[in-house]
Amino acid sequence: MGDTTAPRGQAQALPVEQRWSYRWRLARSGLLMTLPALLVIAAFTVYPFWYALNESVHLSSPILGRRFVGLDNFRNVITSPYFLDAARTTLIFGVIAVPVLVVLGVLVALLLNERFPGNTLLRAGMLLPWAIPASVVGIIWKWVFLDSWGALNAGLYSLGLIDSYISWLTTPWLARFAVIVAFTWSQLPLVAILLLAALQAIPDELYEAAAIDGASAVARFWAVTLPGIRPMLVIVTLYEILMALNIFDITYAMTGGGPGTATSLLTYYIWAETFKMLNFGNGAALAVVIALLALAFIAAIIRALPKEALLGEHA
Amino acid sequence: MRRRSPAQRALIAAGAVLLALFWFGPFVLVGIGSVIPEGNLLSFPPRWFANPPFLGNYRYIFTGEIPQTYLERGALRSMISQEVRLVPRAMLNSVLIATAVMFLSLTLGSLAAYAYARLRFPGRVATFNFILISRLIPTVALAIPYYAIVLRLGLLNTHWALIAIYTVLTLPFSILVLTLYFRTIPAEVDEAAQVEGASPLQVLRHITLPLSLPSLVGTGLFTFMLAYSEFLFGLLISTSARTRTLPVTLGTLSTNPDVAWGLMMASIVVGSVPTLLLVIPVWRFMVRGLMSGAVQ
Repeated sequence: MGDTTAPRGQAQALPVEQRWSYRWRLARSGLLMTLPALLVIAAFTVYPFWYALNESVHLSSPILGRRFVGLDNFRNVITSPYFLDAARTTLIFGVIAVPVLVVLGVLVALLLNERFPGNTLLRAGMLLPWAIPASVVGIIWKWVFLDSWGALNAGLYSLGLIDSYISWLTTPWLARFAVIVAFTWSQLPLVAILLLAALQAIPDELYEAAAIDGASAVARFWAVTLPGIRPMLVIVTLYEILMALNIFDITYAMTGGGPGTATSLLTYYIWAETFKMLNFGNGAALAVVIALLALAFIAAIIRALPKEALLGEHA
Repeated sequence: MRRRSPAQRALIAAGAVLLALFWFGPFVLVGIGSVIPEGNLLSFPPRWFANPPFLGNYRYIFTGEIPQTYLERGALRSMISQEVRLVPRAMLNSVLIATAVMFLSLTLGSLAAYAYARLRFPGRVATFNFILISRLIPTVALAIPYYAIVLRLGLLNTHWALIAIYTVLTLPFSILVLTLYFRTIPAEVDEAAQVEGASPLQVLRHITLPLSLPSLVGTGLFTFMLAYSEFLFGLLISTSARTRTLPVTLGTLSTNPDVAWGLMMASIVVGSVPTLLLVIPVWRFMVRGLMSGAVQ
């Protein structure tokens, strides 16, 4: 544990009392330099969270004023069929979209790890779906899947593959499929890039040793590749679960939560409950519920990360 | 390089083609959609390529000149959404906000990052973890309080509110990336300057920042992109059409059932220009840096 982050050499050359004042000066600088960022972040995190908590145990109405209702909002929200519906839809999304993303991510990373003409173009091009705003992702895929004159219907019809247009966005399961495709399109680049970085970190010697032992390509994948990228797989999976919990822009622009409530995820439901129904108490209770859910995942992520990974003592 | 069997080569080629279709296909379709006259777009069976490419949609966005193809069929005129004319204005709003966020986030971020990378002070690890975790709270959980706070401060419909919110949302990321980068600079450089009596602030300004230029550019552009793309808070805070950001203008347009899709597509192409310009530098400075960082 060499303490190379603080300039120790000079401090030790000084007499004790000067060494202390030197350390104090550095510590004071550290506090002062982090203070602006910390204040801003705390003001926008701690206070809002307290505000949401406070709001979630009150009922505000224009006639009766504001009164304390304890956990009533939570009970209303959690027993509401709309909430259960949105929670189920979110679960379905996560259970389908996250494994699809991770498996495709591994395949894409394996492909981009090979040498072939056009590889650089694919690597640079994959940044586009990731870089454009998620609401625009929703619009682009809405144009692809649109029922009455969408590009997919027009293309399939022109090729003679279908006789009449398919109602992609007005059939519940097809609409869910369409949203998952759009979500995958926007998230796959990051997943693939992170997994590619992990792949490239696996030493070649391991592959060579496995090849000398006569392991087939498939056997090498299970014995060398998969263990090598496992930490990154865990991180990516948890990150994408968080992202799936956060989907809002895509469904807002693409389906508006419909047809019916087929693509109304929890985030969309919170937004609708708060800003369409103007029920702040229920909305705040929902926000607290989803934040606690996310915190559970965050705890899992932190446990999955190697200790001292970010602020470790080695420079 | 290993020799590949024909089957392996076919597999790689097929994968590459499929991937290229998936990545680029939707963009190509948007490009095509933006130059097809509305009548051809809506017709059944599709008549996409019946006419030569048509640039009237683009002209309308910038000049307000209603395309001939809409005049031909009177019924379609109502479908031209006036809001499409707000796209250039919305782009300007987004660029202004994102630029301010970029500078604020880099300034506050590099100050804090230097302290986390180089100085020891009480609460260092705890506050660093707090900053990172703060960003993992789902944004929708913060939406109601943010809205209420902005409303009370009288900042609804201003760019100030969005600049503040986006700075908070991007700051943890800037601090993380810059801290990791600053730590890769040998500490001996700092120590030499400190022997000369330089304060940490002076070291940061005259030594660390100039040495970190690639990382600063990458982080800054990435911050810009995040702020340029944000949707939820933009939707809540900007209720008037004039102050809206680009994602909000486009997002609300798409929920309008009467929108003219040709115009919508042309708006997407126009609105994506800043992203297209930024993608290559972001890739060069940031993603490659992340990847080489992970390799070490």
